[in-house]
Amino acid sequence: MAAIESTPVRAGATSVPCGHAIGSEKWRGTELAKLLQGKVKVVFEDGLGLVDFHLSNRTCILYISESDLVSGNAFRRRLVRFRKACNLNGIVIAERTRLSDQYYPPVQNFVVLELGMALLPVTNQKEAAQLIFHLVQERSREGNCNLFIRKKSFQLPDASVLQTVQKIPGVGRVKALQLLQHFPSIQKLSNASVAQLESVLGRAIALNIHSFFHTT
Amino acid sequence: APTPIRTTPCILADTREISSGPEVISYLRTALGVKVEVCSLAGCDYIVSNRLAVERKSQSEFANAANRNKLVDRIQHLQHLFDRVCVVIEKDRVKPGETSRIFQRTRYYDSTLSALISAGVQVLFSSSQAETASLLKELALLEQRKNTAIDVPTEVKGHKQEAMQFYLSIPNVSYITALNLCHRFDSVAQMANSSVQVISDRAHMSAQKAEELYRYVHYMFEEEMVPPENPTKRSRVS
Repeated sequence: MAAIESTPVRAGATSVPCGHAIGSEKWRGTELAKLLQGKVKVVFEDGLGLVDFHLSNRTCILYISESDLVSGNAFRRRLVRFRKACNLNGIVIAERTRLSDQYYPPVQNFVVLELGMALLPVTNQKEAAQLIFHLVQERSREGNCNLFIRKKSFQLPDASVLQTVQKIPGVGRVKALQLLQHFPSIQKLSNASVAQLESVLGRAIALNIHSFFHTT
Repeated sequence: APTPIRTTPCILADTREISSGPEVISYLRTALGVKVEVCSLAGCDYIVSNRLAVERKSQSEFANAANRNKLVDRIQHLQHLFDRVCVVIEKDRVKPGETSRIFQRTRYYDSTLSALISAGVQVLFSSSQAETASLLKELALLEQRKNTAIDVPTEVKGHKQEAMQFYLSIPNVSYITALNLCHRFDSVAQMANSSVQVISDRAHMSAQKAEELYRYVHYMFEEEMVPPENPTKRSRVS
């Protein structure tokens, strides 16, 4: 079951151990590979197809060199093939240099907006090595260490509900608490009749509250 | 089926962007023909669709590790409010007479980028305010194709403003969601008595967000669960 050259993505690529990367044979001996040494454990393999590096957590890297960018559409076909072939998370690293700078904006529109993949610019293989190192580190983090992933807050909403009720014109904290004692949810409060509201607060404010819920 | 009417895209911009990104807004309006409504978005630079918020950061601001906590808070906040979050990293403007500084890429910069990508935040790079404007337009057009474009009146008149403030005080309700709730329901009471499905359909919210709102509206308040109004003041009195 050896992977064939035409296979877009290596079979079993979804189970790369943490802190490791599987690199395409073509990167062996390159500056990038040398710079990654000692930082990331890279295993080089044949038959990765369209992918340059497989990282853990179903992520892979597709590398677009300066000359790829300048020479035109071959890399676009490669990315489209990748996108159609699998549902791995593709991160595209592109060499944005003085020479390829002008090609970057349309490529960004294509990769990020059309294909929905991530695109990160580097100026050379040295920067790429540093970035790949951090991507591997990020992927290796167990669980919810990512700062930007929203945490579910376990706070009860009571304080918020009280705040929301105080947004009704003429209702401050004291009146809001009185209202919520009798109509303990916003939905129940919204269905209170003028007479019911009047039994808690004065007539004028009862009319106000009723009109707030039913006319705005 | 009738073909949908192609309207020019609409983008909401935060008032602070008038001073920090004046060219973005004027470029959107004049060169790109985008309808830009400037409002107080409280914690968000641009809203491009019913679900997408865009945060604009200068490269130097983004790369400065001293801003880390601020960035984390901001992105977390946006992730609570919106289904999709995008960060545009914009090259710093070179003032006339200055030569552009060479950008030093740091570990902090790379690890922040990696973390954002891994958290599902979209990252775009821009070399100028004009380019940021075209990226915003592209994003708005893309969202339009996905039927999530802003298609609600952006102004709120008369007593509806009170309802708007009411909706905005609800946790995880964004400015655009509040606008949708204001305009898509005849009254607050009607919204409060609607099912998750109806809330989701009318206010263009994801099922999950609609359910959060539904639960909030039906939540049974208990006074004991509210922390005292001003504990320091109170302890001084007693």
